[in-house]
Formats: sequence, structure tokens, C-alpha cells
Amino acid sequence: MTRLSYAKIDQTILDTLSPPKWTYWGILALLLMGVLVGAACWTYQIFVGIGVGGQNNPVAWGTYLINFVFWVGIAHSGTLISAILHLFRAGWRNPIARAAETMTVFAVCVAGLFPFIHLGRVWQVYYMLPIPSQRLLWPNFLSPLMFDVVAISTYLTVSSLFWYTGMLPDLAAVRDRSTGTRHKIFTFLSLGWSGAHEQWRHYTRGYLFFAALATPLVISVHSVVSWDFALGIVPGWHTTIFAPYFVAGAIHSGLAMVLTLMIPLRKLFKYEDIITMEVLQNVAKTIVLTGLIVGLAYGTEYFIAWYSHNTIEMEQFRWRALGDFRWGFYFMVLCNTLVPLLFLFKKIRTTIASLFIISLIVNFGMWWERFVIIVGGVAHGVSPHAWGLYRPTMIEFGIMFGTFCLFFFLFMLFAKHLPSVSMTEMKETLEGGHDHAA
Amino acid sequence: MPHERHIMGLFKNEDQVVSTLEALKTSPYEFVRVNTPIPSHKIMQSLNLKKSKVGWFTLCGGIIGFISGFGLAAFTATRWDLIVGGKPIMAIIPFVVVGFEATILFAVFGNVIGLLTQMRMPNFGSLQYYDPRCSGEHFGVLATCEAHQENSLEDFFRQRGAVVKIWPTSKGGDPDEGFEDSRVQGSVGS
Repeated sequence: MTRLSYAKIDQTILDTLSPPKWTYWGILALLLMGVLVGAACWTYQIFVGIGVGGQNNPVAWGTYLINFVFWVGIAHSGTLISAILHLFRAGWRNPIARAAETMTVFAVCVAGLFPFIHLGRVWQVYYMLPIPSQRLLWPNFLSPLMFDVVAISTYLTVSSLFWYTGMLPDLAAVRDRSTGTRHKIFTFLSLGWSGAHEQWRHYTRGYLFFAALATPLVISVHSVVSWDFALGIVPGWHTTIFAPYFVAGAIHSGLAMVLTLMIPLRKLFKYEDIITMEVLQNVAKTIVLTGLIVGLAYGTEYFIAWYSHNTIEMEQFRWRALGDFRWGFYFMVLCNTLVPLLFLFKKIRTTIASLFIISLIVNFGMWWERFVIIVGGVAHGVSPHAWGLYRPTMIEFGIMFGTFCLFFFLFMLFAKHLPSVSMTEMKETLEGGHDHAA
Repeated sequence: MPHERHIMGLFKNEDQVVSTLEALKTSPYEFVRVNTPIPSHKIMQSLNLKKSKVGWFTLCGGIIGFISGFGLAAFTATRWDLIVGGKPIMAIIPFVVVGFEATILFAVFGNVIGLLTQMRMPNFGSLQYYDPRCSGEHFGVLATCEAHQENSLEDFFRQRGAVVKIWPTSKGGDPDEGFEDSRVQGSVGS
């Protein structure tokens, strides 16, 4: 960090906005094709019907809802890094805060698609809006699904505004160092920011309030997502630990995705002096903590099932470990709790390859965690005659593939067209700086 | 009598800025503003700035949000008085969830409105008496003086280690164009 100066920070980050090579456009085109594959599958589903997916009685919630929860979870660590660590004055979050916030915005956008996809008859979405039907019947705000509509739309709005507000000084910096069309675009986007002391006086206060509001929001959003399940009388779902369990899992998966995105970004954009090994190590250490919390939740679920003496609950958890989807359970325990413990070894958390591979493993495990919870609960419910299995179809895989491509497509667009590291916050870090802002 | 000259001292060190601001207080020149690439507590303390009023906008937004969210849930529930899931028509706890989310949403809207109004943004026109280096590595202190004091204010800044930028007369001159070199160091790569 000592080798950095204001000028070097500016130049390193502004260099990333230079016209990209053809390989960038090539990768972008491939990702766009992936997006089109997903869009085609969804279009097919709209024309033929929701039956083209594998979800059916008793497993009515399949990959669409799994991916919804997965992407909402990914979004959470962006807010953790940008808001919660900002309030804690953790200066190490500065180099990765911008990219993590961006990840949040795009992940919520992707997550927000899945309820529409899952709806089948997507044009009927207005039933979820607070407008009365022709019989003057309004949406039922007792339902956790309505909580979800309110929570996710609030989260998307707040995280987008937080992201944009945080970027204002950097947009002005790009404006001041560009010409032609780019200058005009950034003049518009920066809204006339000049860094005058009067602007900073209000900005630092407003940013602090943003962080203070985003912190309870992020906890509430995934709690609300967990209540989609916990308020249903389904064995494996109907438990009070779901809210903290889901929040911890969300941050766990999001931190892993931060590593998955940051490591290639660091290499491609030559950010080694900015996103230092210490920053990556700190993310890895936090993953150990969240992994242990998630592991505790896994264990607590079994304890609750045993301690309750409820035969249905006990059967659900016996089946989870030994039944048809046991591999998913093994994946989730291994990938989310045991493998991250490798980060306790300094050698492993200071090696780029191992950081990257373990981050992918955690992402994989967290996807399977959602599979085990969502599918497992309804597949092996209260009545044995209603037990059943679930297998995703190619259409579902196509849509899932498309949405993953969409996320990376949006992130790649961002990385080459907007400052992917906050120049302002990096300069504050140089000044000993986390206590500078706010 | 109107001030004739706008002069900016561009510093690379915030401590220099603080000492210059202290010296300006006892000088015959009039301080206008300081443009900085980062929010600086030292500079803000030196200027003895009042606390921003943005929080009041945020608070008002939050209160409006809670009333709106809770009110929407309560209003819609009482339209038909249907008992759902054995819960009371006016189910306080679920409605508080809706109220909470709306509190955050409207508080953020209030925060944004507060920021925009207090910072006087957006302003899509050209920035007056502004040097682009202030978004990079320089701290710009802008002051005004009478025409005959121009040289002494220039010296005042130079003695404190600044690069000086002078704008022409406020009447008739273009406040975007200064006399000194205003090219920025570092640019978007090509």
C-alpha cells in the first residue's frame, strides 16, 4: 500500500477504461449467446407452459426458486462489504467495495427474474402489485411472498442508489480525464460533482445514512426470503433458526463470489497493488467465520429434530443424510463448512489458485444447500403417500445457464466502462483513511 | 465593492490546505470554497462546518415510509375483512414487516432528495471556477480578491506551496478558463 499515490491510483484505475481488446468483445459475445439461450428457453416455457420444467407435485419449487435464493444470497455480501464494514471502519474493504456493490446490484437483478420465470403465466404478475383486482380484492400482505415482493424491490432500489451515490466522485474523476462522447456521458452521470467542501459535508453524512439503512435492510431481506419457507408447515422448513441461518449462508456465498470475481479482475487489470493479498486474506478469514456459522446451523437443525422428538422432523433429517438427495447434503456440508476451514492455513489463503478454487467450491456448495432445503422439504413431507422426487429438465438448465451468463455479462460490461475500484476510497485509505469518510 | 479576481491555490497535501485555510481567515482575501478529491476531516474541522441537514430528510422519509407501508397493509386487509390463516384482520406483526421495508425505502428516497437539494445537484452546466485536477491528486482552495490584490494573493498561495490558477475578471471572463495550466495528470487510457 505504501507504493501507491493518488496519481498512481487514478492511472491504474483509469487505465482499465481504455478501449478493450477483441478478446473482451469475444467473451462478451459468448456470454450474450448464453443469455439468448436462457431467453429462448424462457420464451419456450411461456408458449408451452410451466410444465416444461421438472417441478410438479409434491416438489412444486425447483431450480427457479433455488436460483432465486442463491442469487439473493450472492447479493448480500456486497452490502456487507460496502455498508456493514463501512460502519465498522474496516479500511481493507475499500479496494473491493465497488465491485462487491456492483455484484449486489446485478445479483438482485438476476434474482428478481426468477419469481417471474417461476410464475409461468408471467403476464399475471400484477396480482403481486398493490392494486385491487376487478372484485376489489387486494394482495394479501399476511403472506411472506408479499413480504418478499416488498423486500426484494426495496433491496434492488436501495442497493442501486447506494451504488450510484458511492460512485459520484469517481464519475466526476472520469469526466475530468476524458474527452468527446465519453466526457459528455460522464458529465451527465456525475451530476455536476465538483468535490466542493459543501458537497462533501452533505455527501459524507448521506453516505453514512445509506450504510446505516442498508445494514438492517440486508438482514431483513434474507430473513424475509427465509420466511418464504419457514412460515410453511413443511418439515425441514418450519424452523425458527431459518432467518439467521439464511443470512449467514447468504454472506458466506457472497463472499465466495467476491473472491471468484476479484481474483480474475485483479489479474486482468493489474490491481495487485490495490487489491492486495491482505485484502483477499481478510475475505478468506471472513469466509471461515461464516462457514462455521453455517456449519453450526446445519448441526442445530439436526439437534432440533432430535430434541423435538417429532417423528416427521426426525424422518426428514434422517432422509436428508441417507435418502435420495443425500449427495446434495454431503456437498453442502463438505463444501460450505469443511473445505473453507482450509483457509485457516496461511499457505492456502495466501495462494491465489487455492483462494479461487475454494471460492468456486463454496459457490457450488451453497447452490446445493438451497437444493437440499427447498427440494428436500417438499419431496419428503408430512404424508408418506405424497413423497416424491424431482429432476430439473433441460429447459430449467437452459434458463439457469442463461442467468449465470447474464450476471457475468453485466459484470464484464461494468468492469470496462465504469471504475471497478473506488478511486476516492482508495485515496482515503492512503490518508489512513477509513475514519476520513463520514 | 465586487471582488474582481478568482484565484485557486492547488495543493497536494491536506495539511498545507489546513494551514492555508487558517491563514486565509486573518487575511484580506475572501475564502470561497475548497475542492478536494477525498472527504477530509481535517479540512472540514478547519472550516468549522455545521452538521448537514440531510438526516432530517432521511428521518422524514422513514416516518412517511412506515406510515405508508403499514397503512397500505392495514388498508388492503380491511377492504374485505377476510380471515386468512386464522390471523386477525389487523395482524400487527406481518404488517410491521411491510412497514419496516417501506421505512427503509422511503428513508433512502428522503436521503437522496436531501443530498440532491443540499448539494444543489444535478447541475449539468459547466462548473465555475473549478480545476479538473481537484478530482485527482490536488486540493484546490478558491479565494477572491480585489484586482489590485491579485499578485499578493498569488504570492500568498505560492508561499504555502501551491500551484496557482487565476481566472480572468468575473465580468466578461469565462470562469471555466483559467490562466494556469489546467491539464490533468492521468487520463482515460487510449
